[in-house]
Amino acid sequence: MSGSASGRADDTRLFKYGLIAPATFVMVLVAVFPLIYLIVVSFQRISLSDDITSFSGLVNYARIFSDARLWDAVLHTLLITVIALPIELVLGMLLGYHFLPDRPFKRLLVALLIIPSVISPMVAGSMWRLMFDDRYGPINQIISWFAGERISILWTINIAWAYPAIIITDVWQWTPFMFIILMAALANVDQELLDAAAIDGASGWRTFLEVTLPAIRPVMMIALLIRGLDLIRLFDSVWQLTRGGPGSATETISIYAYIRGFQEFDTSYIAAVVVVLAILFSVGLVVVLKRMAIAR
Amino acid sequence: MRAMTLMSAVGGALLLAAQPALSEENAAEKAVDAAKQYSGITLNSAEEAGLMAMLGINITGPEWKELTGIGLNVTEIPFEELFPKQMLEHKAGSGAYDIMTIGPSWVADMVRNGALEPLDPFIEKYGVASEFDDIAPAFKDWMTYDGKTYALVVDGDVHLLYYRKDIFEDPENMEAFKAEYGYDLAPPQTWEQFGQICKFITDKYAPELYGAGLINTGYMHFFFSERLRTYGGKFFDPETMKATVNSQEAIDALTDMVDQLDCQPPGVQTWGFGESLSALSAGEIAMTISWPPIARWAQGINADEQALSWVPESTVVDKIGYALPPGGHPELASGIMLAVSPDSKNKDAAYLYIQWLHSKQESLKNVMRPLGLRDAFRISHYEAPEYQALWPTAPDYLATLRQAGEQGYSDLAILETYKYWDSMGRAVVAAIGGKDPKEALDDLAAEWDGLTEQIGVDRQKEAYLEWAQKPSAYRE
Repeated sequence: MSGSASGRADDTRLFKYGLIAPATFVMVLVAVFPLIYLIVVSFQRISLSDDITSFSGLVNYARIFSDARLWDAVLHTLLITVIALPIELVLGMLLGYHFLPDRPFKRLLVALLIIPSVISPMVAGSMWRLMFDDRYGPINQIISWFAGERISILWTINIAWAYPAIIITDVWQWTPFMFIILMAALANVDQELLDAAAIDGASGWRTFLEVTLPAIRPVMMIALLIRGLDLIRLFDSVWQLTRGGPGSATETISIYAYIRGFQEFDTSYIAAVVVVLAILFSVGLVVVLKRMAIAR
Repeated sequence: MRAMTLMSAVGGALLLAAQPALSEENAAEKAVDAAKQYSGITLNSAEEAGLMAMLGINITGPEWKELTGIGLNVTEIPFEELFPKQMLEHKAGSGAYDIMTIGPSWVADMVRNGALEPLDPFIEKYGVASEFDDIAPAFKDWMTYDGKTYALVVDGDVHLLYYRKDIFEDPENMEAFKAEYGYDLAPPQTWEQFGQICKFITDKYAPELYGAGLINTGYMHFFFSERLRTYGGKFFDPETMKATVNSQEAIDALTDMVDQLDCQPPGVQTWGFGESLSALSAGEIAMTISWPPIARWAQGINADEQALSWVPESTVVDKIGYALPPGGHPELASGIMLAVSPDSKNKDAAYLYIQWLHSKQESLKNVMRPLGLRDAFRISHYEAPEYQALWPTAPDYLATLRQAGEQGYSDLAILETYKYWDSMGRAVVAAIGGKDPKEALDDLAAEWDGLTEQIGVDRQKEAYLEWAQKPSAYRE
């Protein structure tokens, strides 16, 4: 009797495993195998301009620590992230508040506002490069009109202006993403809580801090997480604006990896870089998720 | 009207160029005759995106198809991606391209990786020896590596100085300049003179006209390596292979390059090839240094080419003079060669198309066209009566071009040159963008030393010494 029950349990378990086996196989194939292959490559000496592909031990990993250009690229990426992300959050929140009540042409204006987010970042980068162009672009012309004299700001070539150019482009393109998500979150805040706060005489700022913010916090954190990860991978718009220049002053991690991996064929080294950065960012992500308390 | 006259002249000249000398063997005809047996196939060609590729798409491809029945499918690839893309396709063994576009400094790397098919057996089978003797030595040198031929040149690039003759020959300017600087106003022989002439013209004419407008973004390794050598600098210490791109000569060269931005139009730091051409054609600058097609475009012979409609209408027709850049040794900046992919299934047909383009008869037509960015590389190009008659000062242009080819610096060609070029380009642009030139060059030297270490000092030394022994390396 018990033997038969145990046999049925085994059959059921096998059946369950059988059901998830194809999905597991596909996951292993598309996610785990490339990761393992990446790790293997990082211990080799593969460079597409050289036929020697022997095992090289930890040579590639050792290079990482003395590669100042790589760590500069990490710093550039973090710099852009810590400046652009809060600006996008605040502007997105303000826009969300602005468009929360019914307004004339609300739907049309919201539709127009989200257009930048559906444009390819490559196209956005090219467009802003033209906007910032000293000879043909409108930005310097507008500034010159206000200044009353010819102002020549070299947005994409001067180290002092290249970052503002990148951040302006990113904020222009991705604030609408924050706006649309936050507007949806704001629309779902319990009206009864807001009314209660108003009856209790809470100021608008206090109501925002004590009622609205806690209510929209999970959604806001997800939005920040998505944009934060996007910014860590930032490539397209910066590539079109500055190509990582002047020099390598605006190289992001992705631009650095592209140049080293696909223009210089340093395949094994860049694999090691990706492994190290993936570990670092994964640890960072876990810490952030815990602090944000949104894992649950 | 002028455009019509010029177009008629171009048309007549092309017709003349199409007539082969009866008594001589003709490489173009040999290629066409041999290629007919492959009629019906289609060749895949990787070409530089833009005007370079337009030539194949709009003109030579259809002509080749009509002559031989062989189609041409052109894949356009941006210049900076040509080398990696073609190497990747070779490594993958895809056979995506039958014909490859290559620059002289890539040959060593591509040969070492087996990415180029040796052409000597094809040349023996189909070639015409007398046509090889006609190639200018500087460009002929590009085609071979370790005694074997791997590519055929179709575009002989070299930098020239373009200047406004009307400004330079104005008696009032000549007198005032001599009084101020003590020598005649003429195309600058040195970079110091360049700076003085640039300042003199800017002081007098700005903001309508500036003394110069140089290219400052894109291909900056070409412009700086020309300056570096003109100032007496070298790339490496041949004994130790330590980079010497931060020597005092290099620092002086880069410092002057940055300082001389002051006499150029505001925002010149962002100028590339297009902006410089635009400003010259619009009469906004008195000097620039650029590639040879500028002469044809500034002369307005592109007027009826739809593909060149972006080139501004020239206001300086007949006003442009040609000279060697300061120092007298212009950079033979890249140039274009065509090669056969070892992964091609149609190697003979691919070679024959390349031979047809490279031939005396067809190449003359192409280097005279405004479209295609192809420039003279044969002795017969410089001497061709039809080219000399293309516009009034074409003989001066061709003579200067010939001299530039004879006296020019060849591009550095060592192992993995592209990495060194990328590094140099970034350092120069950083200095133009405000970084201290010495600091930029110290960083550059450190990067170069790191690259040499990675590649192997002895291997790189061997490659460098082979390149450095060429007369065109340092012109000493």
